[in-house]
Formats: sequence, structure tokens, C-alpha cells
Amino acid sequence: MIHLMIFLPLLGSLALLATPRRWREEVAGFVAALTLGLGLLIWRGGGAELFSVNWVPALGVTYSVALDGVSLALALVTAFMSLVAVLYAARRIENPGTMLSLVLAMETGLLGIFAARDLVLFYVFFEDALLPALMMLAIYGKPNRMRALVQFAAYTLFGSLLMLLSIIGVKYYGGSPTFALADLVNYPVTGVTQTWLYLGFLAAMAVKLPMWPLHAWLPDFHEQNHDSGVPDVMGTLYKVGGYGIFTFGLPLFPDASEQLRPILMGLAAFTALYAAWIAFRQTDWKRLLAYAGLSHMGLVALGVFSLNETATIGAMYLLAFQNVYTGALFLSVGMLQERVGSVHTRVGGVMTQAGALGGMTMALWFASIAVPGLAGFVGEFSVLLGSYQVQPWITFVAGLSTIAAAAYALTAYQTTFWQGRPLGGVRVADLRHTEWLVLGLPLAVALFFGVYSSPALRLIQPAVRGVLSALGGQ
Amino acid sequence: MLQIPDVYLAPLLPILIVLAGAVASTVLGFSLPRRALTIINLVLLGVSAVSMGALWNSGATAFGGGLRADNAAILLGISILVGSAMTLLVSLDTAFRARVSFPEFDAMLMYSVTGTLLIAFSGDLITMLIGLEIMSLSSYVLATLQDSRRAEESGLKYFLLGAVGSAILIYGIALVYGATGSLNYAGIAERTAGLTPQNVAILVGGALLLLAGFAFKVALAPFHQWTPDVYTGAPTSVSLFLSTVVKVAAFAGMLRVFGGALQNAPGWASVLQILTAATLIIGNAAALFQPNFKRMMAYSAVAHTGFLAMTLLGVPGLGGAALAYYLLVYTLMTAAALAIVAALQRTEAGMSISDLRGLYYRHPAYAVALAVCLASLAGLPPFAGFFGKYLAFQAAFQNGYVWLSVLAALASVAALVYYLRPAMLMFMPDRTPAREYPHGERAATTFTVALGVVGITVLGILPNLWYGWAANPAIWETLAGR
Repeated sequence: MIHLMIFLPLLGSLALLATPRRWREEVAGFVAALTLGLGLLIWRGGGAELFSVNWVPALGVTYSVALDGVSLALALVTAFMSLVAVLYAARRIENPGTMLSLVLAMETGLLGIFAARDLVLFYVFFEDALLPALMMLAIYGKPNRMRALVQFAAYTLFGSLLMLLSIIGVKYYGGSPTFALADLVNYPVTGVTQTWLYLGFLAAMAVKLPMWPLHAWLPDFHEQNHDSGVPDVMGTLYKVGGYGIFTFGLPLFPDASEQLRPILMGLAAFTALYAAWIAFRQTDWKRLLAYAGLSHMGLVALGVFSLNETATIGAMYLLAFQNVYTGALFLSVGMLQERVGSVHTRVGGVMTQAGALGGMTMALWFASIAVPGLAGFVGEFSVLLGSYQVQPWITFVAGLSTIAAAAYALTAYQTTFWQGRPLGGVRVADLRHTEWLVLGLPLAVALFFGVYSSPALRLIQPAVRGVLSALGGQ
Repeated sequence: MLQIPDVYLAPLLPILIVLAGAVASTVLGFSLPRRALTIINLVLLGVSAVSMGALWNSGATAFGGGLRADNAAILLGISILVGSAMTLLVSLDTAFRARVSFPEFDAMLMYSVTGTLLIAFSGDLITMLIGLEIMSLSSYVLATLQDSRRAEESGLKYFLLGAVGSAILIYGIALVYGATGSLNYAGIAERTAGLTPQNVAILVGGALLLLAGFAFKVALAPFHQWTPDVYTGAPTSVSLFLSTVVKVAAFAGMLRVFGGALQNAPGWASVLQILTAATLIIGNAAALFQPNFKRMMAYSAVAHTGFLAMTLLGVPGLGGAALAYYLLVYTLMTAAALAIVAALQRTEAGMSISDLRGLYYRHPAYAVALAVCLASLAGLPPFAGFFGKYLAFQAAFQNGYVWLSVLAALASVAALVYYLRPAMLMFMPDRTPAREYPHGERAATTFTVALGVVGITVLGILPNLWYGWAANPAIWETLAGR
């Protein structure tokens, strides 16, 4: 079932090419829904056990996949947001066949990233998710996309090639027979070599996360993407950096991560505050959201690098649900653009004519700035609570970013949705048809898990404990 | 007493079959149309591949070890045959447009393939040299065959620089012989151990001259300068041949000489390391600034030489296997990409990268295929280029060349930029009229492209299909026949 869940979207994406034009949306929606359904079945069954076969025996590369704990939570969120993206793209984008096919292809890459338990397999999926993202940007992007594209590709691939070297190094210096995570953990690398390899591995993860100073690709990537926000939804799901560090980085490089902890936590806190500060000055909703996401990822990084149980659980929680509400916010920006023809934050007065859109967006923003009762709060609070026990001052700096978040979010929201409607502005329609679902479902999820977090925590907690206990506790 | 050499036909068979094709093209050219000859040659290439398959694991030798049909030779030979067949298929469609559609083209091509196979099958330096000269001389003619100033200029350049390369190589062979008293790879390898200091000095000198000579042939910096001009000036089907088959053969020769005969000789590895680093930097950096797609592919060939050369720095058991895998993949992806250029270009000068804008909306299948090739060249999974690069990195890394691996990773980033730019341009909407040759897609070219794309996809997802054959280290540790 797990293999079906991973590869079903890809099959659907290929099938879409052969489907007659008028059925494409239905087929894509069906495939996305089926994938989510499979994910939920796996969840009900208590997760998918490790499955491992030799892939390239001569190289020691295995095809090892498992979906449990954190990876299952993230895979479910991915499947859920892909479905939402498909729902929205089908209506919003003209002739959406190619876009839907790319969304599904990317979904396979992302699910694969979360399922992989072999470093080379992880790398393969890691890069595979990149190709559809690049294609989306190339096909549907705005006029300056070439720069954004090259920047994005150069940054991410620069990181991943260093990671590839680290992967080779981990196996070689440790002397493990295969690249499967279980084997690599049994043959650890020690000493200075471990630190160097961890740095190589971090290079890729810090780009993906993204973490200052490797974040420069992110705002351009989002700004130049299609207005609808569909590619951005997939793009936000792309933040697998935190997950990668948690699943592979900590078990493989325990000493190095302890050694580098203060530096990395400092960088993470700086990223969170710096991004929030810049977000305050943005006048483009997409860039604003990009920097907001960056700021949240700084908190995720803070949690993971702190090696503290509470903080790491919070980071994983935040990582999972940040995708939901930030993704939905990107889609709401797309809806705004569709109505007023701009993604500028000084549009003014949209609320008066599109109350539901304004209300939903506001609720999602509340989730994003960690208002209690919504999913963002649980994550951010746990991160700050946990990392405070490790590095109080750094946590204090990072904590300032939550205040800044309220400032930038509410300012931009106010100038767009309230204030006066400019004279001669077009009449703005309210939510229609599936748009209710597109914003409503993520909001419902954010609300549900904000109030009742135990189903998600039950998944995340044991996995975090497992990883950290192997590290020797706190 | 006169001793009769041990001539066995069996290990010679793959070469003789190809040679028969060359002779047939020369003789039958008077009575048969060129297409018929091309088809005959294609069939003969197939037969040659079958005969290689029959020789698998036989370890047959002839001429007292001067010619060895061991598994290494067969693995490299198959890459050569694949590249040659793809060249012939493309030439079926484009030779007429390129004004090289006459039997001599086929004859020269097949002679050249004969030479390349001789290199791959060589067991001593003289056999290798003969193969190299047969290959080079026919390639000079191929590059010049088109009736145009550009082709003549590039052919002359190729000839002059190639001749210098050969001269250096021969001098190197002479020195190696002087130092070790043997021309046979096995003999050289045996004698490199217990040499007097003077002889070691001569051996190092010989090895370095050999390295320089080979560096000319495979286009290692700083001996690469002929490559962009020749690949751009020659007809595209010839560039395809030069950048795949000829390069495979030259690397086969390098593997035989440096991985086998001179494996324990001092000196050459550190020099090769520097040449590789220079190639990686120069090839990748120069490719960044090429406005012409065909010229960019030429620099990309230089850049890939750098990655390929990294495998020679690994221990033979790992490096040889990596090289064999990478060469086949490189052949498939480069040949498919250049086949698309050959089909779509308006003139033999190729097309500019900006002309590719919107190709997806005019030739969707070709655009997707080209994107796959470029992604593979850039080393993105799930395409086979990824495993090729991976194996090359691994071979160098595990033999202690860590900084070179890091440098290669950095150079790859530049490579990604110049491969992705055209790949992404193809998918951008475009309203200007098409700039391609209007009758571009023909059956044989399409088949070649499909072969390449399917090949790199399948080998990328299931690398074991090919790597499984090559992975046995025993194949590569007996390169010198020990």
C-alpha cells in the first residue's frame, strides 16, 4: 500500500497526458483524493512498516521505505494539500492539464522524500521533487522567472551535491554495507570527519529549509510563480529541510549536531527574526508570505537544532501544519489576484465586498501568527518552550519574531482587506463553488489540530523520542 | 627459427565484422545507394555486438596478448557500437542536408569504428596506437568531408592538433618502452615494480607524455582547445560521433594504459588530478557563456571529460566499472541531444539557445526528450546521468581525492545552470514564429532519440541492468592481463 501511495500520483500524472482534455480535472482530483485516502488508511493501520529490497546491490543502494511517526504526518499533510491544490488549479487555471500533471508528479517526489529510509533514495526523491517545481516556474511563471529559476536551481542543487558527497562519505568512512539508514546508524562515523560530513549534509538542508544566508532563492521563487498560488503550495511543501535534519541528520551525526548546536540555533533564531523584519517591509503578498514562511522555518530549525524533546516535537508539529495554513494563504492570495488583478498589499477595502474571503484569510493568518486555538500556536509554543531550556537568550531573540509576525501580518491584512475601497475599483466577487472548500478545508484542519492536537502528537512524539534517545537524551 | 604468431580469429571477430562494413562501403559504394550501405552497416554493427556477447567471459586473446577480448573490452566496445549505431541512424535523415551523403562517409565512419574497437581491445601499446591512428585519421576526414569553409577549417585544426597529440603519444610510448623494455601492458605492469631510479625517471616522463597525448584525444584542459571549434564546425552528425564514440575509445585507451599498464607507475595520477580539476573548471565555466546550443554541447563534452577522468583516479576495480557505466550513459544522452539538434537546426551551425524558447509548443515530444537529456547530463535523478556522476564522485572520493570531489560538486552547479536554461526556455510560451527546420522530425532520428531517452530513463531507474555487468571488480583488475 505504501508503494501505491508513493507512486500513484506519478502514475496519475502520466495517465493525465493520455486522458482526453475534458476529463483531466476529474482524473487528477480522483488520483489526489485516492492518494490521501490511502494515506489515511495507512494511518488507521498504525503506519507502514519498513520495507526494504536491494535496488542497486553493487552499490549498496536499497529501496527502503517506511511511513510512520513524523514522516506519516508530513506525508498526510502533503497528500492533503496536493488535493487542495488540485481542486483549486482545476478551476482557476485555464487548460490545467500540464499544471495538474506537474502537481501530481511533484507529490510523488515529496511523498518519496518522507518515506525514504535510504540516503541515496532520499536524494533521488529530493531531486525528483525539484524537476516539476522548475517546470511549473518555467511554464507558468512571470516575466522575470528565468533569474528566479536559475537562482533556485543553483542554490538547491549546490546544496544537494555537497549532500551527495556527504552521503558517499558517511558510507565510506563508516564502512556500512548499504545506504539504508538502519545500517548507517550501526556503522557511525566519528570525530572531525563527522563534523565535516554534517556540514555537507547541512548545506543541502539549510538551502531547503531555508536558513540564512542560503535563503535568497525563496522570495524570488514565490514572487515569480503563477498568481494562482498553486505552485507555491507545492513549493511550501518543499521545505523538507527540517525533516531531513531530523530524520537523517540527527541520527547520523549525533556528536556533530551537539557540537554545533549553539551556532546552528543562533543562525536559526537570526533567520526567524530577520525574515520577519523583512516581511514587514514587503508590498507584494507573495513575497510577504515567502518571508513569513522563512521566519517560521527559522523556528522549526531552532526546535530541531536544540535537540530538546519538547522543542523538536513542536518543530515537527509546526513543520506539518505550517504547510496547511501557509499553503492555503498562498491560494487565498491567488483568489485575491483573480479578483483585483494584483498581489499588492495596499489594495484596500476588499472585505466590504468579499466578506467570506476576507474572513477566511484572516482566520488563516491567525493560525500563521500562532493565535491560541489554531495549529500554529501548538507548534510555536512548544518550540519556544523547549529551546528556552537549552539556550534562553537565543530563544528570546527568536521569540521576538512571533511579535513581528503579528505586526507584518496584520498591517498587510489591514491595508488590503480593510481601509477604503479605491474609487473606480472593480467589484470584487466573494468565494464561489470549490473556493469554499479550498480555503475551508485547510482552515478546518488548522482549527481541529489547534484544539485537539493529540492525534498528531501521538504520531510525532514517539518518533521524536526514538531519535533523541538514540542521541543520549537532551 | 621463424615463429608463427598465434592468430586467433575469435577475439578479432567483432573488429573484423566492422571492418567488413567499412570495406563493403568502399567497394559497394559504386553500385549501391548510400542508404542501403548505411543499413548494411547498421546490421553489421548489430552482428558485431552479438559476437561480443558470445565472447563474454571467454577472456580470449590473440597475438600473444596484443589483442584481448576480455570483459572490459566488451563492455567498452558495446558503448562504442551503441554510439556508432546512433550516428548512422541520425545520418540516415540528416546526411543529405549536411551535404555528406555519399558512401565515403559510411566508409570513413566504419573505419573509425574499427579503430576505436582496436583501442578497446588492445593488449599492448602498439595495437592501441594503431587503433588510435586509424580512428584519428578517419575522424579528420569525417570532420572535413562537408563541402564548407567551416568544416574545412575545423578539420584542419583537428588534424594539426591531433597530429601533435599523436606525436607526443608516440614519444611517450617510446619512453615507456625504454624504461620497461616492454610494449605489452602486462609486461609493463610487471616491470614497473623493480626499476632502477634512472628508469623510473624515464618511465615517469613517458607516462606524462602519454597522458598529454591522451589529453589531446579526450579533450582534457588545457589540451581541449580544438574541441569547441571542431564540434561546432563539423556537421552535427559528425560532432555526435566525435563527442561520443571517439571519446569513449580514447577513454578506453586511457583506462587500459593508466588503469592497467601504468597502474603502479608514480607521478601521473597527481598530474591527472590537476588536469581534471582544470577541465572541470574551464569546461563548465566556458559552457555558461555560450549563446549557441551546439557550441554549448561541445563545452559540455569537455566538462564531462572532467567527470569521466575522475573515474581514472579511482582504484581500477571501482573506477573501471564507473567509467564503463558512465560512458554508455554519456553516449546515450549526448547522442540523443545532438540528434535533436541535427533534426531541428536550420543550418549546420546549430541553433542558438534563445531559439529553443517555446519548443515544447511546437515539437512537444522532442522538447520533452531534450529536457530529459539535459536533466540527465546535469546529473538529476531519476535519469542515468545521476548514477554516472555519483559513481565518478564515489570512485575519486574513496581513493582519497576528496577536494577534487568537492570541486566537481561545485563545478556541477555551473553545469546545472547552463543545462537548465535551455531546458526551461523550451517550456516557456512564445509567440514568435518557429525557427526550426520545418521537416525536422524523421523516423530514424526519432527512433535514435527515443532509444537514448528510454535508455537513460531505464538505466537511471534500474542502473543494475548495465552496472550489474560492469560491477565485478575482477574485470577491471585484470586490465593488464594479470
